[in-house]
Amino acid sequence: MKRREGRGTWISRISRTISELENLAGLYAVLFIAVTVLGAFTLTSLIYHDDQLYPKTIDAADPLNPYQRGGTPFNTTDVQAQYPDNSPYLGYVTAYLTPVTRFIADHTPYMGTTIVAHPGGIIDEILYNTRGLDTVAETSILFVAFAIAAHLFRRDE
Amino acid sequence: MFELPVTTIEGPELFVLEFGDIVNYFTVYTAVLFTFALLFTILVIISRPERQVDFAFGGDAFYTKDITPGQFRFQRFMALACGMATLGAMMSGDVFNFTLFTSMVGITNIGIVAAYRNRHVLNAAFQYGIVAMIATVPLFGSAAIILATTGTLSMWALFGPAIAVPLVAKIFLVLGVMGEGMAPFYVAKAEITRAPGAPYVLMIHVSSLLLFLRVVEIVISM
Repeated sequence: MKRREGRGTWISRISRTISELENLAGLYAVLFIAVTVLGAFTLTSLIYHDDQLYPKTIDAADPLNPYQRGGTPFNTTDVQAQYPDNSPYLGYVTAYLTPVTRFIADHTPYMGTTIVAHPGGIIDEILYNTRGLDTVAETSILFVAFAIAAHLFRRDE
Repeated sequence: MFELPVTTIEGPELFVLEFGDIVNYFTVYTAVLFTFALLFTILVIISRPERQVDFAFGGDAFYTKDITPGQFRFQRFMALACGMATLGAMMSGDVFNFTLFTSMVGITNIGIVAAYRNRHVLNAAFQYGIVAMIATVPLFGSAAIILATTGTLSMWALFGPAIAVPLVAKIFLVLGVMGEGMAPFYVAKAEITRAPGAPYVLMIHVSSLLLFLRVVEIVISM
């Protein structure tokens, strides 16, 4: 009886399975689950570091809720940074709200949740001063994703 | 002011560029990787798409495919964006910043693949998209675990002997780069290289290989 190609030994069966394109996502997911199970066993050895560089406090009554960093605008505010020497104007722009934002914050309790929906919501020290390159990279990812979607949508025109 | 704690792995640093808390740097090792990425980005800018020829088996007949640069405008744009993201990942000195550039490489790779019309290639692009989406979980998960357990993200602090990064965070980082850069998935990459469009397709390979070299350096140093 003639054997068909790739049906022979167990190793060629494995090779055949992983060369199937449809199995790619499943293969990666299995790998990911294996590592996650391994990570779950080491969960007890992961200890939360109390001295956080970017601390966050939750005050549900505050209209700026997760983004409240305190301080007065255009004044020095105590903000933690890894390398304060690199940000000499650290604390000067924290807590500044544009007039529209000030209006929303004064009249509704949900300003913190609309922060991403309008420009100049809070000039956040952590995001725009000490970690500005992150903000640039994040928006670049977003624009690239938009460019791909626009191309796929309109390429038949 | 900035001194790498360990210089045996990647050599002494050559240049330091400060963006607030994110302090980018070049060492001998990363400068070489950066130069490679820059070289291929320039190649993408100046080169025109290859013209493929199909030979009919058993005869003298052949077909030259009609390929104009206009057809590959989008691939070229995506390849350029991919090169830029690779440049960023090569010089990044911050774990979260590195993961951001890695995910940008992933999404531009999908963009390069998804711009083809071949059904087979589009099927491969779909599978890649799913893998890249799953990969964001371990990728950013590793950055989150590192921030939670050590309190910082700067590689300058993490590379020191005082801070121990958990093993699971390192494995997650490598796994995330595997999924985003598609480095080990050459199985499906072969499907793409059949389609016309070199040298823009090469950017996928270059970026994933460079990302992998960089993540190995980061994981060993941490």
